[in-house]
Amino acid sequence: MNERIQLVLDSVVPLLTGAVAGTIPLTLISFTVGLAIALVVALMRLSRRRLVSGAARAYVSVVRGTPLLVQLFIIFYAMPSFGVVLDPFPSAVIAFSINVGGYASEAIRAAIIAVPRGQWEAAQTVGMGYRMTMRRIVLPQALRVAVPSLSNTFISLVKDTSLASTILVTEMMRKAQEIAAPSFAFLELYTLAAAIYWVICFVLSAGQYRLERRLSRYVTV
Amino acid sequence: MKRATFLIGLATALTTGLAACSGGSPSGESTTTAGEDVLAQIQESGVLKVGTEGTYSPFTFHDPQTNDLTGYDVEVVTAVAEQLGVEPEFSETQFDAIFAGLEAGRYDVIANQVTINEERQSRYDLSDPYTVSTGVVVTRTDDTEITSIEDVEGRTAAQSATSNWHTLATDAGAQVETVEGLTQSLALLKQGRIDLTFNDNLAVLDYLKTTGDTDVKIAFEVDEGGEQALAMRKDSGLLDAINGALEELRANGTLTEISEKWFGQDVSQ
Repeated sequence: MNERIQLVLDSVVPLLTGAVAGTIPLTLISFTVGLAIALVVALMRLSRRRLVSGAARAYVSVVRGTPLLVQLFIIFYAMPSFGVVLDPFPSAVIAFSINVGGYASEAIRAAIIAVPRGQWEAAQTVGMGYRMTMRRIVLPQALRVAVPSLSNTFISLVKDTSLASTILVTEMMRKAQEIAAPSFAFLELYTLAAAIYWVICFVLSAGQYRLERRLSRYVTV
Repeated sequence: MKRATFLIGLATALTTGLAACSGGSPSGESTTTAGEDVLAQIQESGVLKVGTEGTYSPFTFHDPQTNDLTGYDVEVVTAVAEQLGVEPEFSETQFDAIFAGLEAGRYDVIANQVTINEERQSRYDLSDPYTVSTGVVVTRTDDTEITSIEDVEGRTAAQSATSNWHTLATDAGAQVETVEGLTQSLALLKQGRIDLTFNDNLAVLDYLKTTGDTDVKIAFEVDEGGEQALAMRKDSGLLDAINGALEELRANGTLTEISEKWFGQDVSQ
């Protein structure tokens, strides 16, 4: 029993290394790129042009309607058939970004719709155009509304990155598997990995709470 | 405040309830894992629970025509079950999770070309071998640089984490990527993402024969001849019965027969 406890203690550093070198950068990069995609897609969906909103709708439908694991495998294992051979890490970033783009766009779209029409009209009366109104009046207010659902996506992404272990990305889950394989200590290693994921998400949830409070500081109810 | 407490209580009740439901074995009856007498349980239930990959041709795979689980290992363990007078019940899982499933009591035997090595001997009960085979290194056909074990040093390989091949590749100085199994290793190899993969001679020959793939080749054989066994939990009280059944199947020619059917030769000794 003692040596198993020792193994868990010895595994903390390698797993954290996996988190810092794999899980965390994968999450941050993918979320940033995904958010940019999501904003564009959300604005496209709100467009009056049928073609533009239709394209955005199709994108969201495909992303939300197919498993993330399948998306990862297509980008990593199937793309080489078309002559595109990407390294594991960039493949994972692309897959997760596309995925976040689909989910987060719905959160942003809902938040934009939630901003009262009166805000648009007021902006137009002072002579602001669409772009200016969007940037200065609507999006800042929409952001506040979108934070809870975007945080949800963000926290889901942290855990979803564990799937990248299936396409050769060395992140925390992969590290756990690497240590568990020769030692056969599956229960210990997976539990440890779960605990570290939980701590990361716990910290992020606390960050979400503070961000929500900060964004609400001018809101008088 | 009252409501919050109630909700927390409800959530806890739900999760523990779910955990209770999801525990135990797939077929519902619980399997003990400490100081057990698995043989008695098996005879009582009439079922031998087997863990296998189902994706490793020709040992354990789904027939493309019928979609039935079949293969050399599947037939051997089925014959073993028959010897014990019970029915086999298969659980399919990826190789890297196969030992975890055994330890968790999801099944009592692994039939999946488990190569006998010291580490496994110390942790599990391993039966007498039912396959004797050699390991080979597979490379791309146009690769002329890798011709012996010395050339493996510093190259990249792909193996499943818990496999014996993973150990061999690491010992030979390769940088090893972890994948689910042979199929993925070969895909990575053909895509130029890795240089080589170690695997079982029989599995590779079967792959080359059934697919007609000319992009990859067997570069060389490794010295370590592998012996494969059925794996059980340590001291599960099942070992003697399984070995007895294998011995009987060897004596009456059943093992040879199954082997001839799959490989056209006797690989069982």
